[in-house]
Amino acid sequence: MSVYITSTGSHLPGPPIDNEQIEPLLGYIRGKSSRMKTRILKSNGIQTRHYAIDKDHNTTISNSEMAALAGAACIESSYVPKQKVSMLSCATSQGDLVLPGFGSMVQAQMKLADVELHTSHGICSSSLMALKAAYTNLLAGEHDNALVIASELASRLFKASRYEAVDVENAIDFNAEFLRWMLSDGAGAFLLETAPREKSFKIEWIRSYSHADAYPVCMSVGRTHRSNELRTWQDFPSYAEAEAAGALLIRQDVRLLDNMVKLGVDGFLRLIDEQRVDPVNVDHVLCHYSSDYFRSRIFEMLTMAGVAIPEEKWYTNLYTRGNTGCASLFIMLDEFKATQSFKAGDTIMCMVPESGRFNTAYMLLTVVDGA
Amino acid sequence: MESKVLTEQGQRCLQGLMRVWFEFERNLNRVPIVMRLESGRFTLQDYRKLLLNLRQQVIEGSRWITRSASSFDRDYADVRSVVIGHAKDEHRDYEILEQDYVAAGGKLDDILTAPRNAGTEALHAFLMYRASQPNPVDMVGAMWIIEGLGQKMAAGWADRINELTGGDGSYVNFMGYHGENDADHMEKLYSLLDRVCTGDKTARDIIRTATVVSRLYALQLEEIDND
Repeated sequence: MSVYITSTGSHLPGPPIDNEQIEPLLGYIRGKSSRMKTRILKSNGIQTRHYAIDKDHNTTISNSEMAALAGAACIESSYVPKQKVSMLSCATSQGDLVLPGFGSMVQAQMKLADVELHTSHGICSSSLMALKAAYTNLLAGEHDNALVIASELASRLFKASRYEAVDVENAIDFNAEFLRWMLSDGAGAFLLETAPREKSFKIEWIRSYSHADAYPVCMSVGRTHRSNELRTWQDFPSYAEAEAAGALLIRQDVRLLDNMVKLGVDGFLRLIDEQRVDPVNVDHVLCHYSSDYFRSRIFEMLTMAGVAIPEEKWYTNLYTRGNTGCASLFIMLDEFKATQSFKAGDTIMCMVPESGRFNTAYMLLTVVDGA
Repeated sequence: MESKVLTEQGQRCLQGLMRVWFEFERNLNRVPIVMRLESGRFTLQDYRKLLLNLRQQVIEGSRWITRSASSFDRDYADVRSVVIGHAKDEHRDYEILEQDYVAAGGKLDDILTAPRNAGTEALHAFLMYRASQPNPVDMVGAMWIIEGLGQKMAAGWADRINELTGGDGSYVNFMGYHGENDADHMEKLYSLLDRVCTGDKTARDIIRTATVVSRLYALQLEEIDND
Protein backbone atom coordinates (compact mmCIF):
# COMPACT_ATOMS: atom_id res chain seq x y z
CA MET A 1 0.00 0.00 0.00
CA SER A 2 1.25 3.47 -0.87
CA VAL A 3 -0.17 6.86 -0.04
CA TYR A 4 -0.09 9.87 -2.37
CA ILE A 5 -0.79 13.56 -2.05
CA THR A 6 -3.05 13.87 -5.08
CA SER A 7 -4.23 17.44 -4.62
CA THR A 8 -3.24 20.57 -2.74
CA GLY A 9 -4.94 23.85 -1.90
CA SER A 10 -4.38 26.98 0.15
CA HIS A 11 -6.01 30.15 1.34
CA LEU A 12 -4.30 33.40 2.29
CA PRO A 13 -6.64 36.02 3.77
CA GLY A 14 -6.86 39.59 2.49
CA PRO A 15 -4.28 41.44 0.41
CA PRO A 16 -0.51 41.03 0.83
CA ILE A 17 0.74 43.35 3.57
CA ASP A 18 4.22 44.80 3.11
CA ASN A 19 6.65 45.71 5.89
CA GLU A 20 5.52 49.35 6.01
CA GLN A 21 1.89 48.37 6.45
CA ILE A 22 2.32 45.93 9.35
CA GLU A 23 2.44 48.28 12.30
CA PRO A 24 -0.43 50.58 11.18
CA LEU A 25 -2.51 47.40 10.86
CA LEU A 26 -1.49 45.59 14.07
CA GLY A 27 -1.38 48.89 15.94
CA TYR A 28 1.18 50.97 17.80
CA ILE A 29 1.62 49.69 21.36
CA ARG A 30 0.79 52.58 23.68
CA GLY A 31 1.03 54.82 20.65
CA LYS A 32 4.72 54.16 20.11
CA SER A 33 6.47 52.70 17.11
CA SER A 34 8.38 49.49 17.81
CA ARG A 35 12.13 49.80 18.21
CA MET A 36 12.71 46.13 17.44
CA LYS A 37 10.64 45.85 14.27
CA THR A 38 13.25 46.85 11.70
CA ARG A 39 15.89 44.58 13.12
CA ILE A 40 13.61 41.54 13.27
CA LEU A 41 12.17 42.10 9.78
CA LYS A 42 15.64 42.51 8.34
CA SER A 43 16.70 39.25 9.90
CA ASN A 44 13.69 37.22 8.77
CA GLY A 45 13.68 38.62 5.22
CA ILE A 46 9.88 38.43 4.88
CA GLN A 47 8.59 41.05 2.42
CA THR A 48 4.83 40.43 2.41
CA ARG A 49 2.34 38.39 4.43
CA HIS A 50 -1.42 38.14 5.03
CA TYR A 51 -3.60 38.87 8.03
CA ALA A 52 -7.11 37.79 8.88
CA ILE A 53 -7.71 41.00 10.83
CA ASP A 54 -8.22 44.52 9.50
CA LYS A 55 -6.80 47.79 10.81
CA ASP A 56 -9.79 48.19 13.14
CA HIS A 57 -8.90 44.74 14.51
CA ASN A 58 -12.05 43.08 13.27
CA THR A 59 -11.45 39.46 12.38
CA THR A 60 -12.19 39.29 8.66
CA ILE A 61 -12.26 35.49 8.47
CA SER A 62 -12.05 32.90 11.24
CA ASN A 63 -9.39 30.22 11.49
CA SER A 64 -11.88 27.44 10.70
CA GLU A 65 -13.25 29.41 7.74
CA MET A 66 -9.74 29.81 6.32
CA ALA A 67 -9.12 26.10 6.84
CA ALA A 68 -12.40 25.31 5.08
CA LEU A 69 -11.51 27.51 2.08
CA ALA A 70 -8.11 25.81 1.74
CA GLY A 71 -9.85 22.43 2.04
CA ALA A 72 -12.42 23.42 -0.58
CA ALA A 73 -9.70 24.59 -2.98
CA CYS A 74 -7.92 21.27 -2.50
CA ILE A 75 -11.10 19.25 -3.14
CA GLU A 76 -12.03 21.38 -6.16
CA SER A 77 -8.80 20.57 -7.92
CA SER A 78 -9.07 16.86 -7.07
CA TYR A 79 -10.93 13.86 -8.43
CA VAL A 80 -12.70 13.22 -5.15
CA PRO A 81 -16.10 14.80 -4.53
CA LYS A 82 -16.63 16.35 -1.13
CA GLN A 83 -19.22 13.70 -0.25
CA LYS A 84 -16.57 10.98 -0.59
CA VAL A 85 -14.03 12.45 1.82
CA SER A 86 -13.56 9.72 4.39
CA MET A 87 -11.19 11.21 6.95
CA LEU A 88 -10.49 14.79 8.03
CA SER A 89 -7.26 15.54 9.87
CA CYS A 90 -6.62 19.12 10.99
CA ALA A 91 -3.82 21.07 12.64
CA THR A 92 -3.55 24.50 14.20
CA SER A 93 -1.75 26.23 17.02
CA GLN A 94 -4.87 27.96 18.22
CA GLY A 95 -8.41 27.31 17.06
CA ASP A 96 -11.14 29.92 17.24
CA LEU A 97 -12.54 28.12 20.26
CA VAL A 98 -10.54 26.63 23.11
CA LEU A 99 -12.90 23.65 22.89
CA PRO A 100 -14.05 21.61 20.97
CA GLY A 101 -11.21 20.43 18.77
CA PHE A 102 -10.36 22.47 15.70
CA GLY A 103 -11.26 19.59 13.37
CA SER A 104 -14.89 19.65 14.50
CA MET A 105 -15.21 23.31 13.58
CA VAL A 106 -13.55 22.79 10.20
CA GLN A 107 -15.74 19.79 9.45
CA ALA A 108 -18.88 21.80 10.23
CA GLN A 109 -17.65 24.72 8.16
CA MET A 110 -16.96 22.45 5.18
CA LYS A 111 -20.17 20.46 5.69
CA LEU A 112 -18.37 17.14 5.47
CA ALA A 113 -20.57 14.23 6.55
CA ASP A 114 -19.57 11.17 8.58
CA VAL A 115 -15.79 11.63 8.42
CA GLU A 116 -13.32 10.08 10.82
CA LEU A 117 -11.90 13.08 12.62
CA HIS A 118 -8.46 13.91 13.95
CA THR A 119 -7.06 17.14 15.40
CA SER A 120 -3.41 17.59 16.21
CA HIS A 121 -2.35 20.34 18.53
CA GLY A 122 1.09 21.92 18.69
CA ILE A 123 2.92 24.59 16.75
CA CYS A 124 4.68 24.36 13.38
CA SER A 125 5.10 20.59 13.32
CA SER A 126 1.45 19.88 14.17
CA SER A 127 0.65 19.84 10.43
CA LEU A 128 3.04 16.95 9.88
CA MET A 129 1.51 15.20 12.90
CA ALA A 130 -1.94 15.59 11.34
CA LEU A 131 -0.54 14.42 8.02
CA LYS A 132 1.11 11.40 9.62
CA ALA A 133 -2.13 10.43 11.38
CA ALA A 134 -3.95 10.50 8.04
CA TYR A 135 -1.09 8.78 6.20
CA THR A 136 -0.94 5.89 8.68
CA ASN A 137 -4.74 5.56 8.60
CA LEU A 138 -4.54 5.06 4.84
CA LEU A 139 -1.55 2.72 5.14
CA ALA A 140 -3.50 0.64 7.66
CA GLY A 141 -6.35 0.31 5.18
CA GLU A 142 -8.79 2.20 7.38
CA HIS A 143 -9.59 4.76 4.69
CA ASP A 144 -8.83 5.27 1.04
CA ASN A 145 -8.70 9.05 1.21
CA ALA A 146 -8.15 11.77 3.78
CA LEU A 147 -8.25 15.54 3.69
CA VAL A 148 -5.52 17.13 5.80
CA ILE A 149 -5.71 20.84 6.62
CA ALA A 150 -3.32 23.10 8.53
CA SER A 151 -4.42 26.61 9.38
CA GLU A 152 -3.17 29.48 11.50
CA LEU A 153 -4.62 32.76 12.68
CA ALA A 154 -1.88 34.20 14.83
CA SER A 155 -2.54 37.88 14.14
CA ARG A 156 -5.26 38.12 16.78
CA LEU A 157 -2.47 37.76 19.35
CA PHE A 158 -0.58 40.69 17.84
CA LYS A 159 -3.17 43.45 18.22
CA ALA A 160 -1.69 46.40 20.10
CA SER A 161 -4.52 46.10 22.63
CA ARG A 162 -3.22 42.68 23.70
CA TYR A 163 0.10 44.18 24.72
CA GLU A 164 -1.54 47.22 26.29
CA ALA A 165 -3.55 44.91 28.56
CA VAL A 166 -0.32 43.88 30.26
CA ASP A 167 0.55 45.77 33.45
CA VAL A 168 3.32 48.27 32.93
CA GLU A 169 5.58 46.56 35.46
CA ASN A 170 5.42 43.41 33.33
CA ALA A 171 7.28 45.18 30.53
CA ILE A 172 6.99 43.90 26.97
CA ASP A 173 10.41 42.42 26.39
CA PHE A 174 12.06 41.31 23.18
CA ASN A 175 10.84 37.74 23.62
CA ALA A 176 7.22 38.88 23.85
CA GLU A 177 7.44 41.12 20.79
CA PHE A 178 9.62 38.95 18.57
CA LEU A 179 6.86 36.85 16.99
CA ARG A 180 4.77 39.93 16.23
CA TRP A 181 7.13 40.57 13.32
CA MET A 182 7.46 36.92 12.34
CA LEU A 183 4.06 35.22 12.14
CA SER A 184 1.02 35.75 9.94
CA ASP A 185 -2.12 33.97 8.81
CA GLY A 186 -3.03 31.36 6.21
CA ALA A 187 -4.17 27.80 5.55
CA GLY A 188 -3.08 24.90 3.38
CA ALA A 189 -4.60 21.52 2.54
CA PHE A 190 -3.56 18.16 1.08
CA LEU A 191 -5.74 15.36 -0.19
CA LEU A 192 -4.32 11.90 0.40
CA GLU A 193 -5.33 8.86 -1.66
CA THR A 194 -4.06 5.32 -2.02
CA ALA A 195 -3.61 5.62 -5.80
CA PRO A 196 -1.81 8.40 -7.66
CA ARG A 197 -3.35 10.94 -10.05
CA GLU A 198 -1.39 13.17 -12.39
CA LYS A 199 1.31 15.24 -10.67
CA SER A 200 1.02 13.39 -7.37
CA PHE A 201 3.50 13.13 -4.54
CA LYS A 202 4.09 9.69 -3.08
CA ILE A 203 4.77 9.85 0.65
CA GLU A 204 7.86 7.72 1.20
CA TRP A 205 7.89 8.30 4.95
CA ILE A 206 7.16 10.87 7.66
CA ARG A 207 9.31 10.95 10.79
CA SER A 208 9.75 13.35 13.65
CA TYR A 209 12.09 13.53 16.63
CA SER A 210 10.89 15.38 19.69
CA HIS A 211 13.32 16.68 22.32
CA ALA A 212 10.96 18.18 24.90
CA ASP A 213 12.59 16.11 27.65
CA ALA A 214 15.93 17.82 27.11
CA TYR A 215 15.03 21.45 26.47
CA PRO A 216 12.97 24.15 28.16
CA VAL A 217 9.93 25.69 26.48
CA CYS A 218 11.05 27.99 23.67
CA MET A 219 7.78 29.26 22.20
CA SER A 220 4.65 29.56 24.28
CA VAL A 221 1.32 31.13 25.08
CA GLY A 222 0.15 30.75 28.66
CA ARG A 223 3.15 31.69 30.80
CA THR A 224 4.58 34.94 32.04
CA HIS A 225 8.13 36.05 31.31
CA ARG A 226 9.20 35.11 34.82
CA SER A 227 10.92 31.76 34.69
CA ASN A 228 10.28 31.15 38.38
CA GLU A 229 6.52 31.75 37.94
CA LEU A 230 4.93 28.32 38.09
CA ARG A 231 1.37 29.50 37.42
CA THR A 232 0.03 29.15 33.90
CA TRP A 233 -2.78 31.32 32.52
CA GLN A 234 -5.48 29.07 33.95
CA ASP A 235 -4.02 29.17 37.44
CA PHE A 236 -4.71 32.88 37.88
CA PRO A 237 -7.94 33.82 39.68
CA SER A 238 -9.27 35.42 36.49
CA TYR A 239 -8.27 35.64 32.84
CA ALA A 240 -7.98 39.41 33.28
CA GLU A 241 -5.28 38.89 35.92
CA ALA A 242 -3.51 36.36 33.72
CA GLU A 243 -3.53 38.85 30.86
CA ALA A 244 -2.28 41.69 33.06
CA ALA A 245 0.59 39.44 34.17
CA GLY A 246 1.50 38.87 30.52
CA ALA A 247 0.57 35.18 30.62
CA LEU A 248 -1.47 35.40 27.42
CA LEU A 249 1.25 36.89 25.23
CA ILE A 250 2.88 34.68 22.64
CA ARG A 251 6.56 34.40 23.51
CA GLN A 252 9.72 33.11 21.94
CA ASP A 253 12.76 32.51 24.11
CA VAL A 254 15.21 33.68 21.46
CA ARG A 255 18.18 32.58 23.56
CA LEU A 256 17.22 28.96 22.86
CA LEU A 257 16.57 29.31 19.13
CA ASP A 258 20.01 28.21 17.99
CA ASN A 259 19.22 24.73 19.33
CA MET A 260 16.68 24.49 16.53
CA VAL A 261 19.41 24.53 13.92
CA LYS A 262 21.46 21.86 15.69
CA LEU A 263 18.48 19.59 16.25
CA GLY A 264 17.32 20.06 12.67
CA VAL A 265 20.72 18.99 11.38
CA ASP A 266 20.93 16.18 13.98
CA GLY A 267 17.61 14.77 12.71
CA PHE A 268 18.80 14.98 9.12
CA LEU A 269 22.01 13.07 10.00
CA ARG A 270 19.90 10.41 11.76
CA LEU A 271 17.72 9.98 8.68
CA ILE A 272 20.86 9.54 6.58
CA ASP A 273 22.16 6.97 9.09
CA GLU A 274 18.83 5.15 8.98
CA GLN A 275 19.16 5.18 5.18
CA ARG A 276 15.84 6.89 4.76
CA VAL A 277 17.44 9.55 2.60
CA ASP A 278 20.64 10.14 0.68
CA PRO A 279 21.31 13.87 0.29
CA VAL A 280 22.86 13.24 -3.12
CA ASN A 281 19.53 11.97 -4.44
CA VAL A 282 17.37 14.83 -3.17
CA ASP A 283 16.07 16.98 -6.05
CA HIS A 284 14.09 19.59 -4.10
CA VAL A 285 14.12 20.81 -0.51
CA LEU A 286 11.11 22.45 1.09
CA CYS A 287 12.13 23.56 4.55
CA HIS A 288 9.94 25.54 6.91
CA TYR A 289 12.46 27.91 8.40
CA SER A 290 11.08 30.90 10.21
CA SER A 291 13.52 33.42 8.92
CA ASP A 292 16.26 33.95 6.41
CA TYR A 293 18.74 34.07 9.28
CA PHE A 294 18.04 30.44 10.12
CA ARG A 295 18.22 29.38 6.50
CA SER A 296 21.86 30.40 6.40
CA ARG A 297 22.60 28.83 9.80
CA ILE A 298 21.07 25.50 8.68
CA PHE A 299 23.09 25.73 5.50
CA GLU A 300 26.34 26.34 7.34
CA MET A 301 25.87 23.39 9.61
CA LEU A 302 24.81 21.01 6.83
CA THR A 303 27.92 22.10 4.95
CA MET A 304 30.07 21.44 7.98
CA ALA A 305 28.60 17.92 8.20
CA GLY A 306 29.25 17.45 4.50
CA VAL A 307 25.59 16.77 3.72
CA ALA A 308 24.55 20.11 2.25
CA ILE A 309 22.06 20.05 -0.59
CA PRO A 310 22.90 22.73 -3.21
CA GLU A 311 21.11 26.01 -2.69
CA GLU A 312 19.38 25.93 -6.09
CA LYS A 313 17.41 22.88 -4.94
CA TRP A 314 15.83 24.78 -2.04
CA TYR A 315 12.42 26.29 -2.61
CA THR A 316 10.47 28.55 -0.28
CA ASN A 317 7.71 31.13 -0.46
CA LEU A 318 8.40 32.42 3.06
CA TYR A 319 9.39 35.86 1.76
CA THR A 320 6.08 36.53 0.00
CA ARG A 321 3.56 34.43 1.95
CA GLY A 322 5.01 34.91 5.42
CA ASN A 323 5.58 32.46 8.24
CA THR A 324 2.20 30.81 8.74
CA GLY A 325 3.34 28.33 11.40
CA CYS A 326 1.96 24.85 10.82
CA ALA A 327 0.33 25.92 7.54
CA SER A 328 3.65 27.02 6.00
CA LEU A 329 4.76 23.70 4.54
CA PHE A 330 1.32 23.02 3.04
CA ILE A 331 1.14 26.49 1.47
CA MET A 332 4.70 25.98 0.22
CA LEU A 333 4.02 22.65 -1.49
CA ASP A 334 0.82 24.03 -3.02
CA GLU A 335 2.72 26.92 -4.61
CA PHE A 336 5.66 24.69 -5.51
CA LYS A 337 3.29 22.40 -7.39
CA ALA A 338 1.70 25.29 -9.26
CA THR A 339 4.81 27.27 -10.15
CA GLN A 340 7.95 25.12 -10.13
CA SER A 341 9.20 22.63 -12.66
CA PHE A 342 9.66 19.06 -11.53
CA LYS A 343 9.33 15.66 -13.13
CA ALA A 344 8.24 12.14 -12.27
CA GLY A 345 10.84 10.44 -10.09
CA ASP A 346 12.06 13.68 -8.47
CA THR A 347 12.42 13.48 -4.71
CA ILE A 348 11.32 16.27 -2.39
CA MET A 349 12.71 16.51 1.13
CA CYS A 350 10.40 18.40 3.50
CA MET A 351 11.58 19.64 6.88
CA VAL A 352 9.67 21.32 9.67
CA PRO A 353 11.80 22.11 12.72
CA GLU A 354 9.52 23.40 15.49
CA SER A 355 10.89 25.53 18.29
CA GLY A 356 7.87 25.16 20.65
CA ARG A 357 9.68 22.62 22.76
CA PHE A 358 11.86 21.31 19.97
CA ASN A 359 10.23 18.84 17.65
CA THR A 360 11.83 18.30 14.26
CA ALA A 361 9.66 16.70 11.58
CA TYR A 362 10.67 15.41 8.15
CA MET A 363 8.96 13.92 5.14
CA LEU A 364 10.24 12.49 1.88
CA LEU A 365 8.07 12.68 -1.25
CA THR A 366 8.58 11.26 -4.73
CA VAL A 367 6.86 12.83 -7.71
CA VAL A 368 4.59 10.30 -9.42
CA ASP A 369 2.59 10.84 -12.55
CA GLY A 370 -0.34 8.49 -12.28
CA ALA A 371 -2.20 9.85 -15.29
CA MET B 1 31.11 28.47 5.58
CA GLU B 2 33.46 26.04 3.89
CA SER B 3 33.55 22.35 4.61
CA LYS B 4 35.65 21.94 7.72
CA VAL B 5 37.41 18.77 6.71
CA LEU B 6 38.46 17.75 3.26
CA THR B 7 38.92 14.00 3.21
CA GLU B 8 36.01 11.61 2.87
CA GLN B 9 37.03 9.68 5.99
CA GLY B 10 37.46 12.89 7.92
CA GLN B 11 34.03 14.06 6.83
CA ARG B 12 32.34 10.84 7.92
CA CYS B 13 34.10 11.02 11.27
CA LEU B 14 33.05 14.66 11.69
CA GLN B 15 29.43 13.66 11.03
CA GLY B 16 29.69 11.04 13.75
CA LEU B 17 31.27 13.54 16.14
CA MET B 18 28.50 16.05 15.43
CA ARG B 19 25.90 13.40 16.29
CA VAL B 20 27.75 12.64 19.55
CA TRP B 21 27.88 16.34 20.35
CA PHE B 22 24.15 16.91 19.75
CA GLU B 23 23.36 13.92 21.95
CA PHE B 24 25.74 15.27 24.60
CA GLU B 25 24.01 18.65 24.58
CA ARG B 26 20.67 16.93 25.16
CA ASN B 27 22.17 14.85 27.97
CA LEU B 28 23.69 17.94 29.55
CA ASN B 29 20.26 19.57 29.57
CA ARG B 30 18.95 16.61 31.56
CA VAL B 31 21.55 17.14 34.31
CA PRO B 32 19.82 18.87 37.26
CA ILE B 33 22.26 21.77 37.66
CA VAL B 34 22.22 22.51 33.91
CA MET B 35 18.44 22.17 33.90
CA ARG B 36 18.30 24.84 36.60
CA LEU B 37 20.58 27.05 34.51
CA GLU B 38 18.49 26.59 31.37
CA SER B 39 15.17 27.10 33.12
CA GLY B 40 16.34 30.16 35.06
CA ARG B 41 16.47 28.71 38.58
CA PHE B 42 20.21 28.88 39.01
CA THR B 43 21.74 30.54 42.08
CA LEU B 44 25.13 31.92 42.97
CA GLN B 45 25.55 28.91 45.26
CA ASP B 46 24.95 26.65 42.24
CA TYR B 47 27.64 28.54 40.37
CA ARG B 48 30.15 28.12 43.17
CA LYS B 49 29.38 24.41 43.33
CA LEU B 50 29.86 24.19 39.58
CA LEU B 51 33.28 25.86 39.71
CA LEU B 52 34.31 23.80 42.72
CA ASN B 53 33.54 20.61 40.83
CA LEU B 54 35.01 21.75 37.52
CA ARG B 55 38.37 22.75 38.96
CA GLN B 56 39.83 19.30 39.39
CA GLN B 57 38.98 18.34 35.86
CA VAL B 58 40.42 21.58 34.50
CA ILE B 59 43.70 20.95 36.33
CA GLU B 60 43.81 17.36 35.12
CA GLY B 61 42.91 18.58 31.63
CA SER B 62 46.42 19.79 30.98
CA ARG B 63 47.81 16.49 32.24
CA TRP B 64 45.93 14.24 29.86
CA ILE B 65 46.71 16.49 26.94
CA THR B 66 50.44 16.50 27.70
CA ARG B 67 50.30 12.74 28.33
CA SER B 68 48.69 12.31 24.92
CA ALA B 69 51.42 14.42 23.34
CA SER B 70 54.14 12.23 24.82
CA SER B 71 52.42 9.07 23.58
CA PHE B 72 52.74 10.05 19.92
CA ASP B 73 55.84 8.56 18.28
CA ARG B 74 57.96 10.02 15.48
CA ASP B 75 55.40 9.13 12.80
CA TYR B 76 53.00 11.49 14.48
CA ALA B 77 55.45 14.29 15.32
CA ASP B 78 53.23 16.84 13.54
CA VAL B 79 50.22 15.78 15.59
CA ARG B 80 52.30 15.96 18.74
CA SER B 81 53.21 19.58 17.93
CA VAL B 82 49.57 20.56 17.67
CA VAL B 83 48.69 18.77 20.91
CA ILE B 84 51.60 20.39 22.79
CA GLY B 85 50.49 23.82 21.58
CA HIS B 86 47.03 23.09 22.82
CA ALA B 87 48.24 21.98 26.24
CA LYS B 88 50.41 25.06 26.61
CA ASP B 89 47.44 27.35 25.94
CA GLU B 90 45.40 25.85 28.74
CA HIS B 91 47.60 24.51 31.47
CA ARG B 92 47.14 27.50 33.80
CA ASP B 93 43.43 28.02 33.10
CA TYR B 94 42.48 26.69 36.51
CA GLU B 95 43.97 29.78 38.15
CA ILE B 96 41.37 31.97 36.44
CA LEU B 97 38.72 29.54 37.62
CA GLU B 98 39.95 29.82 41.20
CA GLN B 99 39.87 33.63 41.02
CA ASP B 100 36.28 33.44 39.72
CA TYR B 101 35.35 31.20 42.63
CA VAL B 102 36.67 33.70 45.13
CA ALA B 103 35.07 36.64 43.29
CA ALA B 104 31.76 34.76 43.45
CA GLY B 105 32.02 34.62 47.22
CA GLY B 106 33.82 31.31 47.71
CA LYS B 107 36.79 30.67 49.99
CA LEU B 108 40.05 29.98 48.20
CA ASP B 109 40.91 27.24 50.67
CA ASP B 110 37.66 25.39 49.88
CA ILE B 111 38.37 25.14 46.17
CA LEU B 112 42.03 24.28 46.69
CA THR B 113 41.21 21.38 48.96
CA ALA B 114 38.06 20.04 47.32
CA PRO B 115 38.38 16.39 46.25
CA ARG B 116 37.40 15.13 42.81
CA ASN B 117 33.82 14.04 42.61
CA ALA B 118 32.98 10.50 41.47
CA GLY B 119 32.35 11.59 37.89
CA THR B 120 35.63 13.50 37.74
CA GLU B 121 37.49 10.43 39.00
CA ALA B 122 35.97 8.32 36.22
CA LEU B 123 36.54 10.96 33.56
CA HIS B 124 40.13 11.57 34.59
CA ALA B 125 40.93 7.85 34.83
CA PHE B 126 39.55 7.19 31.38
CA LEU B 127 41.34 10.13 29.79
CA MET B 128 44.71 9.20 31.35
CA TYR B 129 44.27 5.57 30.32
CA ARG B 130 43.48 6.43 26.71
CA ALA B 131 46.20 9.10 26.58
CA SER B 132 48.75 6.51 27.66
CA GLN B 133 48.15 4.25 24.67
CA PRO B 134 50.66 4.42 21.80
CA ASN B 135 49.64 7.05 19.23
CA PRO B 136 46.29 7.83 20.89
CA VAL B 137 44.59 9.40 17.86
CA ASP B 138 41.19 8.76 19.45
CA MET B 139 41.98 11.61 21.86
CA VAL B 140 40.79 13.88 19.07
CA GLY B 141 37.33 12.68 20.14
CA ALA B 142 38.01 13.74 23.73
CA MET B 143 39.27 17.12 22.59
CA TRP B 144 36.14 17.53 20.43
CA ILE B 145 33.93 17.24 23.52
CA ILE B 146 36.04 19.29 25.92
CA GLU B 147 36.70 22.09 23.42
CA GLY B 148 33.08 22.11 22.28
CA LEU B 149 32.08 22.55 25.86
CA GLY B 150 34.44 25.50 26.24
CA GLN B 151 32.70 27.16 23.32
CA LYS B 152 29.29 26.38 24.75
CA MET B 153 30.24 27.85 28.14
CA ALA B 154 31.58 30.99 26.52
CA ALA B 155 28.71 31.44 24.09
CA GLY B 156 25.88 30.57 26.42
CA TRP B 157 26.69 29.86 30.01
CA ALA B 158 28.90 32.81 30.99
CA ASP B 159 26.28 35.48 30.19
CA ARG B 160 23.44 33.32 31.42
CA ILE B 161 25.10 32.73 34.80
CA ASN B 162 25.92 36.39 35.12
CA GLU B 163 22.31 37.35 34.32
CA LEU B 164 20.70 34.81 36.66
CA THR B 165 22.97 35.54 39.60
CA GLY B 166 22.88 39.32 39.16
CA GLY B 167 26.61 39.53 38.51
CA ASP B 168 28.65 42.28 36.89
CA GLY B 169 30.80 39.94 34.81
CA SER B 170 33.59 39.87 37.39
CA TYR B 171 33.31 36.18 38.23
CA VAL B 172 32.64 34.50 34.86
CA ASN B 173 36.11 35.05 33.37
CA PHE B 174 37.04 31.40 33.11
CA MET B 175 33.98 30.53 31.06
CA GLY B 176 34.12 33.67 28.96
CA TYR B 177 37.85 33.57 28.30
CA HIS B 178 37.93 29.86 27.71
CA GLY B 179 35.79 30.34 24.62
CA GLU B 180 38.20 32.76 22.94
CA ASN B 181 40.95 30.18 22.62
CA ASP B 182 38.59 27.34 21.90
CA ALA B 183 37.37 28.67 18.53
CA ASP B 184 40.97 28.51 17.35
CA HIS B 185 41.41 25.09 18.93
CA MET B 186 38.36 23.82 17.04
CA GLU B 187 39.94 24.87 13.74
CA LYS B 188 43.05 22.88 14.65
CA LEU B 189 40.88 19.93 15.56
CA TYR B 190 39.31 19.91 12.09
CA SER B 191 42.72 19.71 10.47
CA LEU B 192 43.73 16.98 12.94
CA LEU B 193 40.69 14.99 11.80
CA ASP B 194 41.92 15.12 8.22
CA ARG B 195 45.39 14.14 9.36
CA VAL B 196 44.63 11.17 11.60
CA CYS B 197 41.34 9.86 10.25
CA THR B 198 42.67 7.50 7.62
CA GLY B 199 40.46 4.46 8.08
CA ASP B 200 37.14 3.24 9.44
CA LYS B 201 38.74 1.90 12.61
CA THR B 202 40.30 5.24 13.52
CA ALA B 203 36.97 6.98 12.91
CA ARG B 204 35.19 4.46 15.14
CA ASP B 205 37.81 4.88 17.88
CA ILE B 206 37.57 8.68 17.78
CA ILE B 207 33.77 8.58 17.96
CA ARG B 208 33.86 5.96 20.72
CA THR B 209 36.19 8.06 22.87
CA ALA B 210 34.05 11.14 22.27
CA THR B 211 30.99 9.15 23.37
CA VAL B 212 32.63 7.89 26.57
CA VAL B 213 34.06 11.30 27.46
CA SER B 214 30.68 12.97 26.91
CA ARG B 215 28.97 10.43 29.17
CA LEU B 216 31.56 10.80 31.91
CA TYR B 217 31.50 14.57 31.65
CA ALA B 218 27.75 14.55 32.17
CA LEU B 219 28.28 12.20 35.12
CA GLN B 220 30.74 14.68 36.61
CA LEU B 221 28.07 17.38 36.46
CA GLU B 222 25.39 15.04 37.81
CA GLU B 223 27.62 14.37 40.81
CA ILE B 224 27.59 18.05 41.76
CA ASP B 225 24.20 17.62 43.39
CA ASN B 226 25.29 14.41 45.14
CA ASP B 227 27.89 16.16 47.25
